[in-house]
Amino acid sequence: MTVSTADEGTRSSGGRLLITLLLPIVLLNVIAFIAPVANLVAMSFREATATGSMKEGVDLATWSSLVADTYYWSMLWRTVWIGALITLITLVLSYPLALFVSRAERAKALLIVLCISPLLISAVVRTYGWMVILGDQGFLQALLRSFNVTPPRLINSQLGVVIGMTEILMPYMILSLLSGFGKLDTTLEQAAETLGAGPLTVFRRIVLPLSMPGVLLGCLLCFVLAVSSFITPKMLGGGRVALLATEIYDQAIVTLNWPVAACLSVLILVVFGTALLFYGQLSKIVE
Amino acid sequence: MLPTISRGLHALGIISIMMFLLAPVILVFPISFSADAHVAWPPSAWSTRWYVALLHNEEMVTAFRNSLVIAGCVTALTLVVAMPAAVALTRWKFWGRDALTSLFTAPLLLPSIVLGLAILVIFAGYGLVGSWPGVIIGHLVITLPYALRVLITGLSTMPAFVEDAAGTLGADPWQVFRRITLPLMTPALVASAALAFIVSFDEVVISLFIAGTQLKLLPVSLYHYVESWTDPLVAAVSALLVLGTLGIVLIVERAIGFGKAVSK
Amino acid sequence: MYLEVESLEKRYGHFAPSVSDLSFSLGQGELLGLLGPSGCGKTTTLRMISGLVQATSGKIKVGGQDVTGLPTYRRNMGVMFQSYALFPHMTIAENVAFGLQMRKARHADIAKRVESALAMVHLSGVAERKPRELSGGQQQRVALARALVIEPDILLLDEPLSNLDAKLRDNMRGEIRDIQQRLRMTTVFVTHDQTEAMAICDRIIVMNRGKLEQIGTPHDIYENPATPMVAEFVGRINRLEGQWRNDGAVAVGDSLIRAKDDGGTGRVLIMIRPHRIDLSASDAKSAVSPEENAINGTIRHVTYVGDTFQYEVATTGGLLHVEKATSSATDPFQPGDTVTLRWKTRDTLTFSTEVAG
Ligand SMILES: Nc1ncnc2c1ncn2[C@@H]1O[C@H](COP(=O)(O)OP(=O)(O)OP(=O)(O)O)[C@@H](O)[C@H]1O
Ligand SMILES: [Mg+2]
Repeated sequence: MTVSTADEGTRSSGGRLLITLLLPIVLLNVIAFIAPVANLVAMSFREATATGSMKEGVDLATWSSLVADTYYWSMLWRTVWIGALITLITLVLSYPLALFVSRAERAKALLIVLCISPLLISAVVRTYGWMVILGDQGFLQALLRSFNVTPPRLINSQLGVVIGMTEILMPYMILSLLSGFGKLDTTLEQAAETLGAGPLTVFRRIVLPLSMPGVLLGCLLCFVLAVSSFITPKMLGGGRVALLATEIYDQAIVTLNWPVAACLSVLILVVFGTALLFYGQLSKIVE
Repeated sequence: MLPTISRGLHALGIISIMMFLLAPVILVFPISFSADAHVAWPPSAWSTRWYVALLHNEEMVTAFRNSLVIAGCVTALTLVVAMPAAVALTRWKFWGRDALTSLFTAPLLLPSIVLGLAILVIFAGYGLVGSWPGVIIGHLVITLPYALRVLITGLSTMPAFVEDAAGTLGADPWQVFRRITLPLMTPALVASAALAFIVSFDEVVISLFIAGTQLKLLPVSLYHYVESWTDPLVAAVSALLVLGTLGIVLIVERAIGFGKAVSK
Repeated sequence: MYLEVESLEKRYGHFAPSVSDLSFSLGQGELLGLLGPSGCGKTTTLRMISGLVQATSGKIKVGGQDVTGLPTYRRNMGVMFQSYALFPHMTIAENVAFGLQMRKARHADIAKRVESALAMVHLSGVAERKPRELSGGQQQRVALARALVIEPDILLLDEPLSNLDAKLRDNMRGEIRDIQQRLRMTTVFVTHDQTEAMAICDRIIVMNRGKLEQIGTPHDIYENPATPMVAEFVGRINRLEGQWRNDGAVAVGDSLIRAKDDGGTGRVLIMIRPHRIDLSASDAKSAVSPEENAINGTIRHVTYVGDTFQYEVATTGGLLHVEKATSSATDPFQPGDTVTLRWKTRDTLTFSTEVAG
C-alpha cells in the first residue's frame, strides 16, 4: 500500500500510524461482516439433518429442493409484488408532502424534522402504534363503525401489512425526494411560466423530470427495505402473511434449518441485486 | 373561487398525509393512559395503571436497563473505532481508500435480517450468542457506518488550512488534532454519538438473532410481549420511548441543529 | 544569505513537476516577491519552504542550517494563508496566543506579547471576539499578528491581500511593508498582482510553469525583463515581429526600428510599453535623433479610460497600442488622424526568437 498524507507525506511514520488507525474498524468488519456473510453464502450449499445439525459435504441439495418447491416460488412472488405495491403507495403519498415541505417558506426545518424523525423511533414502537390503530378494537375500526361502515379485517392481513409498511418507509422516501427537490430551482418553473406554461404543464415538463433521480432513489430504497423487513409483517401479519424475510426468521430460529435460511438470504440478495440493476438502467434513461 | 377550493383541498391532502405519518406515534399516548385490560378504542376510562404495571414488570425494567447499558457501550466504542478511521480516511491519501470507505458503509446496504442471520451463524460457533460482547459487536456493525459517514462529512468540511496553520505555529500532529481538529468536529461527534445511541437502542432484528433468550433487550422484549399479550403495557413503554427520542433530538438540536445532523 | 533554496523540485504524482529547478537566496530582512500566473507553483514553493509539503528534491537552508527534512512544527516560520485560516473556535487573543502556547511560553509573557502583537496591527479592541465577528480586513490583520508573534525566522505570505477590496489592499500592503521593515523580517510574499509586488518588494522572482524566469529588483524586472513572458506579465506591452539587419536595425514590415541592443541575427521579437510612445500630429515634422524611433501611422481606435487615452494605431510596422495621459489642454486624436509615433531606442526591448542551434 502506498501511503501519503493529504499533501504528500508530512508525517514520517505515516504508514504505521495509518494502519493503527484503521486496524480496529477493519478487524470489526472482518469478524462481524465479511466472514459471516461469506460463511452464510457457503452454508447455503450445505444440507440440514432432521435434528437441526448439518450434513457433511457441499452440494446443491438444499437449493434444488427449494427450487422444486412451489411454496417458495409463490412466496418469492408475493414478496416482490407486495414490495412493489408498498413502494408505489409510499411514493404517491410522499411526493406531494415532500414537494410541499421543500417549498415551505415558514417552519421548513420543523416540517423536515416532523417528516423524518419517525425514523428515529423503533420499528417495534411504530408498528405497535399501527396495531393500536388497525386492531379489531382499534381506532380506525371504531371510527369506521361510527360511520356505519363495516370495514374488512385490517390486522393480521396483507392489507394491514401494506398500510403499516407504507408509513414505516415514508420517511426514507421523503428524504430521497427532498434531496432530489433540492436541485430543483424555482426560477426554472417561473421561467417556464413566463413562457406560457400552465401549472400542469410546468409540473409535467419541468418538476417531474427534474425530480426523477430522487424518485428512483426513493423507490429503490423503499423496495429493498420492504422486501427485507420482517418486524412489521410479523407483527401486523399475525403469521398469516408469509414473506421471504419472515420465512428466513422462522427457518433460522424456529425450525433451526440454517441452510434453508441461508438459501433464502441469498435469494433476498439476488432480489436486491436485480432491483439495483433496474435502478441503474432507469437512472440512465432518466438522464 | 376555484383556486381557493383547490388550495383548500391541497392543504387538506397534505395535512392528512402528515397525520397518517404521525398517527401511530401519537396514538400510543392516549392508549397508554387506558384503564382497560385490552387495547381498545376509545378507552372506557383513563388511568396510569399501565405505567405502574410497567414499573413492576421485572422483564421490561431489566430489558430497559440492559438496552441502555448496551447502547452506551456501543456509542462509546463506535466513537473510539470510527473517529480514528474517519481521520485516516480523510487525512491520508492511499491506494484503495475509496474502496475501503465503501466497504465500511456496506453493512448498511445489507438487509439486517441477512446480517443478523450471518452473525448468528458465526457467533453460535463461539458461544457469543446471548452474550454482552456478542450483542455489542453485532450492533457496532450497523452503528459504525452511520457514525463514519457523519464524521467523514464533518472532517472534510472543516475550514480549509486551519490544521496547516496550527502546524506552522509549532503544533505537532497530536497537538493539532487535540487543539484544532477535535474541537472543530464537536458537532459531528455529538451527531454521530446520538445516532449510534438511537440506532443501537432501537435495533431489533440483529438483537432478535444474537441476544437469544438469555440477554433481555427492550425492543426484543417488546416484540415478544406483543406476540402474546394485547394489553396497553407496550403503549406505556412506547410513549416513554417516543419522549426519550424527542429528548435526544432536542439535545442534538441545541448542540448543533438537527437538520444538519440528519441531512448528511 | 539567510534563506537559501537550492534546485528545489516538487512533483505531485506522475504529472509534470509543479516546481522544478528553483534556486534563489535571500538576505536577512529582505522582502522577496514571488510573482507569476495562476498555477505556476507559487503556493507549492511557499508550502515547501514552510514544510507543509515535502520537496521531491532540493535543499532549503535557513541561516546556514538545512531544514529540508524538518517537519513544519519545528521550522519556526510564520505563515499567513490566503484564506487566513484563523481558528474559528478560538477568540482573537487565543488565536494569537496559540503559537506561544505551543512554544511553552509563560502565561504572563504570553498575555503581554499577544497584547503588543494586536496593538501592532491596530486591533487591541477586539481580543475577546471570535474570528467570524471581524471584517475581512481585521481577520487579515489577526492572521498577520498570529504569524508575527512567534518571532519567526521567516515570514511567508500567500496572497495575503487577494480577499480584500482595492482600497483596503493598498493600505494593508503599506502596513505589511512597514512592519516588515521595522522587525527586519526576512519575508517571502506571494502574489499574482505585479503592482503589489513592485510596490513593496526588495526583489521579485517571476515564475512560470514551475520555473524561475527572472529574479531581480522591481526596476530590473520592469526595465530589463529577461524573457517576453516577464515583459508581458509585469505590464501592458506591444509586440512586433521583425528581422535583424546587418546594420543593427530591425526590419518590421516596411519600417526600420532601432533597439536597445544593437545587433543580432535572425528573427526577433520587439516589445515596447504603450506609455513610452509619444504621439504627435504627423505634419509637425521634426528631426529624428539617433536615440529615437519615429514611424507614421493612422489612428484606428480611441478609448477613454479617465486618466489616459488608449490609442490603437496602424503603422507601417504593424498595429501599436499607445497610452497618453489625458489633459484638458489638448484635444485627443480622432480615428483617421495620421500621426507620428516616437520612442526612445532604449525603450525598445528585443528578444531573439531564432531557435538556438
Ligand atoms: N495537492 C496537489 N496535487 C496535485 N497537483 C497539485 C497539488 N497542489 C498543486 N498542484 C498543481 O501544482 C501546480 C502549482 O500549483 P500552486 O498551487 O503552487 O499554484 P499557484 O502558483 O499558487 O497558483 P494560484 O495563483 O492559482 O494560487 C498546479 O498545476 C496545480 O495543479
Ligand atoms: Mg496559490
